Amino acid sequence: MSISFSERLLGLISNAYEISAKSVSFWESFQPPEDISSNGHLIEWLFYYTTYVNLFWFALVVIGLFGFSFLYSQKRHKKPVYTHGNEKKHLFITAFIAVGVFLSVDLVITKVSSRDMKESFWNFDDSGDTVKVQVLAQQWAWNFRYAGTDGEFNTADDVVTLNNLRVPMGKKIFLQMTSKDVIHAFYLPNARIKADAIPGRFSKLWFDANKAGEYEIACAEMCGTHHYLMKAQLTVMTQEDFASWVNESQSMAIATNDTEDVNLRWGWKWGSK
Amino acid sequence: MAFLEQHIHDEPKTFISKYVISYDHKVIGKQFLWYGIFWLLVGGLMAMLIRWTLAYPGVPFPLIGSLLFPHTGGVVPPDTYAMLFTMHGTIMIFFAITPILIGAFGNFCIPLMIGARDMIFPTLNMLSFWFSMASGALLLISLCLPLGAAAGGWTSYPTLSTTLGSPGAGQTLWLLSLFLFGASSTMGAVNYITTVITLRAPGMDYFKMPLTIWGIWLTSILNAIFVPVLGAGLILLTFDRVFGTTFFLAGAAATSGKGDPVLFQHVFWIFGHPEVYILILPAWGIVSDLLSFFSRKPAFGYKMTALSLTAITILSTVVYGHHMYTTQMSPLLTQSFMTLTMLISMPSAVFFANWLGTLWKGSIRFTSPMLFSLGVVFVFGLGGLTGLYLASTSIDLYLHDTYFVVGHFHYTMAASVLLGGFAGTYFWFPKMFGRMMDEKLAKIHFWTTMIPLNGIFTGMMMMGWAGMHRRLYNPFIYEFTQNLMPLNKFVTYCAIAMGFAQFTFLYNFFKTIFGKNIPQASSNPWDVGTLEWTIPSPAPHYNFKEIPHVKCGPHELGNPNLTDGKDFQYQTEELVKA
Repeated sequence: MSISFSERLLGLISNAYEISAKSVSFWESFQPPEDISSNGHLIEWLFYYTTYVNLFWFALVVIGLFGFSFLYSQKRHKKPVYTHGNEKKHLFITAFIAVGVFLSVDLVITKVSSRDMKESFWNFDDSGDTVKVQVLAQQWAWNFRYAGTDGEFNTADDVVTLNNLRVPMGKKIFLQMTSKDVIHAFYLPNARIKADAIPGRFSKLWFDANKAGEYEIACAEMCGTHHYLMKAQLTVMTQEDFASWVNESQSMAIATNDTEDVNLRWGWKWGSK
Repeated sequence: MAFLEQHIHDEPKTFISKYVISYDHKVIGKQFLWYGIFWLLVGGLMAMLIRWTLAYPGVPFPLIGSLLFPHTGGVVPPDTYAMLFTMHGTIMIFFAITPILIGAFGNFCIPLMIGARDMIFPTLNMLSFWFSMASGALLLISLCLPLGAAAGGWTSYPTLSTTLGSPGAGQTLWLLSLFLFGASSTMGAVNYITTVITLRAPGMDYFKMPLTIWGIWLTSILNAIFVPVLGAGLILLTFDRVFGTTFFLAGAAATSGKGDPVLFQHVFWIFGHPEVYILILPAWGIVSDLLSFFSRKPAFGYKMTALSLTAITILSTVVYGHHMYTTQMSPLLTQSFMTLTMLISMPSAVFFANWLGTLWKGSIRFTSPMLFSLGVVFVFGLGGLTGLYLASTSIDLYLHDTYFVVGHFHYTMAASVLLGGFAGTYFWFPKMFGRMMDEKLAKIHFWTTMIPLNGIFTGMMMMGWAGMHRRLYNPFIYEFTQNLMPLNKFVTYCAIAMGFAQFTFLYNFFKTIFGKNIPQASSNPWDVGTLEWTIPSPAPHYNFKEIPHVKCGPHELGNPNLTDGKDFQYQTEELVKA
């Protein structure tokens, strides 16, 4: 080793400083990735609501903790007040706090979460002009399958991609997924959603994307040594671009896919359990 | 129930019968303490390796890196990284926190605080320690295997933890080691529960027990019910690995028959969620007592605190599903689990209010056990409140398996439990070893632990909200985590600082036990009235020559009617009234 540890450490520290200096502001660097979906803001709203209520209750704890420590330290307050805290007024105050927590925290979060799930995240009505994609996770890659023009999965005109999910802007995208080997989790931070892909089961997810561009899909469930490399790209295209890409890929698929190859036919009938 | 009095046995003479195969609850408690501290060091070193890799992926670990990983020049390899976070979790939960909080304090405090001469089943107690030694040995052996130790996460979800994803013997040894640990825990739990029920000194009603005993007792009940559930899951998984069954195999890997990997998650979390409370309840109990002792006034709303701990114990058994939202259970189940989880905030609010009520108008002595207890109130406040985000089904869609979860559970399980453990160690040290630890060093230890600790875990939660997910060897291959590089470095520096701070504790601990010219502790250095302080320090072999008769509660401090110069009453004294 030619360079000493301290030199190396200094180099690393200056390196860290450069990165922080050239990129976004301090506050922005802790913000979640850009929200491209129409439902992501629901999660953000509830997150910030919870944060504000938590700050309120935690402020009370901190005021009590530091305030009482200051006011009633041995130096300032020699004679402790002898009380067991079991008088009616004490019980009343405690009950008041517990009910306050219930009303401000439990009730609101439970209600809003349930509403958001029911009306948005769990609303799996895939009728109409939607895009359906089947997802097969494996160590350590994502396979995506589009039905093609016949609308049937597992047929010769299916478009199959690896680590490359392309979707049109403004349409609802429905995913059905499973896994070939171990449990993975489809994680799209830009839409604030996640679901496990589990061998032997189908899980489902839907999102929409309102902004063209390229985004990242990650595996969020520990799936082995190269879990961290299990990354796919989400490309959000205009509807015209998407249509022409599907057409082109489909004719390529029909021309080149070997219909005898069973490995190509991992798809399933849409909606099967 | 008629009162049961144990006989006084002769003190063992040989080294082996005194310190190795000991039936004495105090010695076994100390054995668990040593054992826990050893594993705390191992798990802590692993945490350093993990943190270093996250801040400097691909950079050799300083100083000892090239010794540990010679073939990569000191860089932690990706498969080793997976092994490290798996082992860090396993070791810290099952081999460090459990032995210290439950093994050490449970054993040491229960008989002394309820006025008994020993545990009700001393042989079972001895076996409990040696079973956990055996389980620790298996885990150590698994670290030396050619294919490495288990690397599927501490939750070891199949199918990754079946031979499909983890071919080596490490995972099998992990399962067997945890099974032995479970046996040890169950033995301990049965012993603690029975001891508290049968051996309480005359007059020691349930509502006269110190809250420490309440915490440990409730923990033992959870342990006795739910650790066997884990054992069942471990056995089934072992069968899948060794005998070719398919309980948890599905998809292409299930060549004969079809099981369900999610079944294991159910079994694991039925145990796993109570486990969280198994770890924290003793710390809550200890803190509830210490806050009262050092505020020099009775515990505020003692009965309400005991009952709210009981309520949490009961609720903890029916909320486990919130660990599994992303497996997409039925909406009805998911929403029920969310609602039940939220309810835990009410009993928590009650004992938080009571903790602050205890401080209110006290006369607070900032000794080291008190500082650590106040620390627990602070960090558990943060840890508990951040649980609300994760209990919500919709926020969990985004935050599940991110660093927000890591920050949250470290605040509750690592920070709170560790600080509670230190509080207990500093507090009972004189009764254990008959000497006083250095207060000044203890206070340095507190501040040098507390400040970086909050840096680490708050930093982790911020990363999580920014989207960084868990168990990544190199998080920065994602663009959305690039901004988090400086924060990751900051967290790593904090972790290193906190790691080094623990040497203050170790130095203090060993110096006080083995050093020369250390002053002996008096029988009651903290001026408190629970039963263990009525006997000499260190506690004699038989604990109590005469079984004490309990006449008042555990927190009789600051009674203005006291006239004999002290500001507290022993539990053996009649409550002084005006």
